[in-house]
Amino acid sequence: MNAVGIIAALTIREALRRKLIAALAVICLAMIGLSAWGFYRLSHTSGLTSGEIGGAVPEAFILFMFMFSFVIALSASAVASLSVSTEIDSGVLQAVVTRPVRRSEVLLGKWLGLVAILAAYTALVCGLQVGVVFWVSGFVPPNPAAAAAFLFAEGVALLTLVLLLSTRLSALAAGVTGVALFGMAWLAGVVGSFGQLLKIPALHTVSVVSEYLLPTDGLWHGAIYYLEPTSYLAFQSGNQDRGDAFFAAGAPAGTYLIWAVIWFALVLALGMLSFGRREL
Amino acid sequence: MLPARSAEPQAGPRPAPPGAGRGTGPSPAVHTIELRKQYRRTVALAGLSMTVRRGEVFGFLGPNGAGKTTAVKLLLGLARPTGGEALVLGAPAGDRETRRRIGYLPELFRYQSWLTAREVLELHGRLLGLPRARRRAAADDALATVGLAGRGDDKVGTFSKGMQQRLGLGAALLGEPALVVLDEPTSALDPVGRHQVRAIIRELRGRGTTVFLNTHLLQEAEQVCDRVSVISQGRSLATGTLAELRGQASSVRLLVTGLPDGWWRAPQVPGLWSAEGEWLLVRDLAAGQVPDVVAALVARGGRVEAVVPQQQSLEARFLELLGEQ
Repeated sequence: MNAVGIIAALTIREALRRKLIAALAVICLAMIGLSAWGFYRLSHTSGLTSGEIGGAVPEAFILFMFMFSFVIALSASAVASLSVSTEIDSGVLQAVVTRPVRRSEVLLGKWLGLVAILAAYTALVCGLQVGVVFWVSGFVPPNPAAAAAFLFAEGVALLTLVLLLSTRLSALAAGVTGVALFGMAWLAGVVGSFGQLLKIPALHTVSVVSEYLLPTDGLWHGAIYYLEPTSYLAFQSGNQDRGDAFFAAGAPAGTYLIWAVIWFALVLALGMLSFGRREL
Repeated sequence: MLPARSAEPQAGPRPAPPGAGRGTGPSPAVHTIELRKQYRRTVALAGLSMTVRRGEVFGFLGPNGAGKTTAVKLLLGLARPTGGEALVLGAPAGDRETRRRIGYLPELFRYQSWLTAREVLELHGRLLGLPRARRRAAADDALATVGLAGRGDDKVGTFSKGMQQRLGLGAALLGEPALVVLDEPTSALDPVGRHQVRAIIRELRGRGTTVFLNTHLLQEAEQVCDRVSVISQGRSLATGTLAELRGQASSVRLLVTGLPDGWWRAPQVPGLWSAEGEWLLVRDLAAGQVPDVVAALVARGGRVEAVVPQQQSLEARFLELLGEQ
């Protein structure tokens, strides 16, 4: 096994040993249990028409997934911020990088390990959530796999950025900065929705620029699109003048997805370069 | 039985150039020329020049803040120099492949607390590229060498500082390195542990491994080092064997009986004489004058029961060097 594989396996083993994965699994089960109750109540309320329920369930599902995207972002930010700077401060990494390995391999290994954990967590939560909601309400999003992939990509974006920050900043500073940037990017998306509502192009431009600088909100809108059934899409498209931050009229453009891939590569490469040049 | 080593004098702080690449034998284990490290306005290393020969135990001595750990970090590629040159095992300091032949115990020794001691060693074995079949045996050997044989399956997080330092030493010994760099290796150890570490260092020397011992404990250096370099404020003040550093005996203590009263007034008795109880102390002797002193005493009817040359202690010389600076 090469150095990247060794460090990736070590990162996953650390998450298991430190009970990070167990904690995430418990949170996941608690969230899904709560949502199962909520969706059951929503879809079995006698006061609502079937049309109202048909519109409310997808909307609630998107809101739930937004909450989950926030959990993913916070989790990714927390684990990424701890994985480099804390190990530098404690001296653990000094013993590793004086072995015949490249520092870039160490960082890439950590990234891969964290990405694998995130992938497993996203797949578990999304799979269980879709199954439970179908079981209690009969609703299935049109493309849950694509939605999960976008949620995962959103988490990876923040994870990659915080990993870069943690090569230079303390764990606290990197984590807080990452979460703050994530919040700002989401807020920029909301501002863009208001821009559309109020017909202020400058506000819309802010959200577009923000989506390119930090693609978390752009990727989140990709997830939203694949969660919207055709009826919900048609209904919401007719109400676009209300500027909904939880609605996506279309799938992300191919050029945007290419940019997102380039963004990942650039930020990861910058992280490897930064860690390689860091004095330990 | 360890191989005998000849101590060559070092004329000054400027080392001889390495033989690497010139067909004059193996390169030195470490060779630095005017190695310099500056952090903004703070000069951590102000032009360090030294040569560590293959197979020797080299003590790198200095007070706190002298630049010892900075020098080690530069040699291992953990930090980049702002000037000068450093070669380790014949390659530029920090060279990736060369690190395969270097074992390093950091001053700040911390290992993954959630792994067991054996897992830490196996991880380092994997990073070194040791084959799977050898890794387990190498880890067990290292655990036994550092006195952790019974604790291999315990989590590192449950270890005391001293045990973690032993584990770090075990990790540094993996893969039969040609150079072992030990940064304050006994800082967390009790006297028994210190004794064991000194025994390990001697064993390494017996195998022909070069040991670079970074320490501020003069007694430790006196007990295991072939040569030492004293550094302060980022510069090497003196390098040589302990005997060279302490200098020739310039005084001698003697236990003599049977001398007549007033014997010391006789001419041609070298040195300055004084009495210390039953003993005589003769100071200000030139090199090789001790036999003359004994002969003069015997000629005056004295019976010389004991002769104890008085050498300057390393501590005294160390303080003197720092004072001179």
